[in-house]
Amino acid sequence: MELRGQGFLIQVVCWVFSLFQVTYKWLSYTLGVHVNQAKQMLYDYVERKRKENSGAQLHVTYLVAGNLLQNGHVCHKVAVVREDKLEAVKSKLATLASVHVYSIQKALLKDSSPLYNTDYDIVKSNLQHCRPAKARCAPRAPPQSTQGPREPGATGTANGHGPAAARAPPQQHRGIAGMFAARAAAKGQDTPRESKAEAREAPGVSAASSKPPTKNSIMNNFFGKAALNKLKANSVPEQPKEEKEVVKPSVAVAEPESSPNSVAEKPGKKAESAGIQQEDKKSKTKRADRSDDEEERDPENVKKKRKRIKQLQSDSSDDEDVPPSPTPEEERAPSPAPAPAPKAELEPASAEVSAAGRKRKRKRVLKSKMFIDEEEGCMVTEKVYESESCTDSEDEFCKPKAPAPHKQPLLPTKREPKEERKNLKKGAAPANRANKQVSIMGFFQKK
Amino acid sequence: MTQLLPQHRGNACRLASCGMLLGPIWPTHVCSAPCLEEKQEASQHSPALLAGLGNDIVLRKLSELQAGERCCVVGTLFKSMQLQPSILQEISEEHNLVPQPPLPKYIQPSDELMLEDELQRIKLEGAIDVQRLVTGTIMAVYGCEQDDGRFLVEDHCFAGLPPALPWNGPSSDRFVLLASGLGLGSVSGEALLSTQLLVDVVTGQLGAEGEQSCAAHITRVILAGNLLSQNTQSRDTINKAKYLTKKMQAASVEAVKMLDEILLQLCTSVPVDVMPGEFDPTNYTLPQQPLHRCMLPLASAYATLRLVTNPYQASLDGVRFLGTSGQNISDIFKYSSMDDYLEILEWTLLAGHISPTAPDTLGCYPFYKSDPFILTECPHVYFCGNAPHFQSKLLQGKEGQRVLLVTVPDFSATQTACLVNLRDLTCQPITFSGFGADSEDGDMEVGH
Repeated sequence: MELRGQGFLIQVVCWVFSLFQVTYKWLSYTLGVHVNQAKQMLYDYVERKRKENSGAQLHVTYLVAGNLLQNGHVCHKVAVVREDKLEAVKSKLATLASVHVYSIQKALLKDSSPLYNTDYDIVKSNLQHCRPAKARCAPRAPPQSTQGPREPGATGTANGHGPAAARAPPQQHRGIAGMFAARAAAKGQDTPRESKAEAREAPGVSAASSKPPTKNSIMNNFFGKAALNKLKANSVPEQPKEEKEVVKPSVAVAEPESSPNSVAEKPGKKAESAGIQQEDKKSKTKRADRSDDEEERDPENVKKKRKRIKQLQSDSSDDEDVPPSPTPEEERAPSPAPAPAPKAELEPASAEVSAAGRKRKRKRVLKSKMFIDEEEGCMVTEKVYESESCTDSEDEFCKPKAPAPHKQPLLPTKREPKEERKNLKKGAAPANRANKQVSIMGFFQKK
Repeated sequence: MTQLLPQHRGNACRLASCGMLLGPIWPTHVCSAPCLEEKQEASQHSPALLAGLGNDIVLRKLSELQAGERCCVVGTLFKSMQLQPSILQEISEEHNLVPQPPLPKYIQPSDELMLEDELQRIKLEGAIDVQRLVTGTIMAVYGCEQDDGRFLVEDHCFAGLPPALPWNGPSSDRFVLLASGLGLGSVSGEALLSTQLLVDVVTGQLGAEGEQSCAAHITRVILAGNLLSQNTQSRDTINKAKYLTKKMQAASVEAVKMLDEILLQLCTSVPVDVMPGEFDPTNYTLPQQPLHRCMLPLASAYATLRLVTNPYQASLDGVRFLGTSGQNISDIFKYSSMDDYLEILEWTLLAGHISPTAPDTLGCYPFYKSDPFILTECPHVYFCGNAPHFQSKLLQGKEGQRVLLVTVPDFSATQTACLVNLRDLTCQPITFSGFGADSEDGDMEVGH
């Protein structure tokens, strides 16, 4: 390099010499020159400074390498030595392989560890710069994917879920929407909720419990209230189990949805899970109370269901059309027919709980969601519980992010995530639907 | 509660694999298969060895021994040592024994040697160095059985050097750098600069042009174990309450990150073979499996990083390397009177088995059908890691075997690595040093 260039660089060295020390490696990395050049530059600088006698005390360390005889072996030695020891070390070596400037510093070094620190820092920062772009950075393997066979339809979405679940909720929405889209479920509420529950490492019960309620709603229509009551009675003991299982994944999985107190991504679900958790803590008498509530609501449910029997039937047929998805869930369901009653029970209870326990005053409102089911080519209206609260903005915000890949472009995207969020909690879908009369203003809620 | 110290697990393995209890003799067909190969070797050598005494050497099994008849017996040695840590004794409630602290050597004058074959065992005495030999050695003894049931040994021999491999070495100077015991994660940081200097030399940053061009001839770096320091093996967390250890991170995590960075620097210039060692995060029993690449995300991106097992065998430029991270040698060191690592290394080569004491005192996978530690071919370079000093020797065998024996020193203690020249099988130590507060001549005193 020509002298002028070197001079310039030496000026740079002076400038950077405001640091405590400059090693050849630091210089090489910083200026982007070959190490040999950096060493040469350091040497020139030292020479220049010494000639100038500017009074600035320069302490130089050198690297000495050479052979020496030790115990009959020819031992190669590489040492960093201070300037004052340089000659001594050189004299001890039988043959000298190389001597060059290792570093320059302002003060006398007692120890060579600062040299190491400087080098380490610069190397480390350089490592980050020139790290090769790895195609190996596979997306985080979702915990769910190791959990055995999931529904083929939901698997992809479960994978999308897994990292999403671990990450921010917006991605979860995406995953959920994707799952929703992939499943093309008529039950916008139920199936996404189920898949989501699966994706959350919940045991099949949670998924199943959301699924069977759907079926139970159908059964209720057929068998009437008597059957409903019987199912309710059966389901009450089952419910604690289900609730426990829901609690477990929701507690175990550190996801916004599952943690009851975190940001209200799916306020509905969260309220449910909170409700569930709280229910667990409550005594059985409470559950009895809830079952009373349930009874009150059941006529409502039944009525509602009777009114909407056609849609439900179409929903159920849709369910059958989505073959792989429901089946594994059902298989996994220990109780094949948990009633919708527990879900209905959950809803009011969670509503209470949410009202009581929430700081954000989330209200659960039954709203009617309408979407077009591509498979059947029909419009499906479902009643879902939605939480309206002051933090709704967060929920609303996240929803648009959830992509519905191939799903009805007609369908307002925001509906699906909301429904899917509903499905997060394994709250009973039909129970949600059938409970309250929803005002049309639900259509125009702030999303 | 008594802690199951790693070295005691060897006993259990030994019992399983050899089928010999201290009491009744179990059928030994379990161990006969792997030992048989060696025994065949030894039995072939014994007539040759004892040819000087006459060609009418009779090879007998222990069950066929007759009192007073001079014959040759081939079998496995078992040394019963009083001080040998025994897991059975420790967990025995009758004895109420406190586990003994680890000693540097467990040998005692009262140790006894026994020779076992498929069916029986017999006590040995005579012209045999009880202190020197260790359990698990296959050997042939020549002598006669005495009236009191002991075998009086007149001579003995081992399997000897395995047959030689053809030489395909390079014609120009090519070097392999052997280093072991980097000891990252230790509390003291003296060796860090030396490690950095090592990396700089290998990557060609350090030194003048001549040195750099020499470094350019380094074709492989083999890190023979103990990349992490023993300090990272903190077991206290097991005893501490969970709430205290919740946020704690194992010391090995930080050390592995440092290792990853060092390996990344090395891998960008030279192929590196990384062997696990005693303190590395892999399994305990031999053969140790390679470190998992997920621990080294930065370095695993490079194909030059090769995570290999311990023991490790490879052909580099036509030269056969075989080596371990040193657990086998140090284990023999503990149970034998041999003090020199190089001597032990040579002895294992002559005995035809990398680690005879496994699985008795050294944890080892209970191989059933065949023993992979039996030396069937003679390597060109035979090394062991984590030795206290650097030593090397070129061993010449009768059948033209040429083996370079290298004891790779512990880098964290000695700051010394080895450069093996593949062309002529010579080895040179290379020492790195910085300067400390007390430096003066300290720099010059490292190494041997």
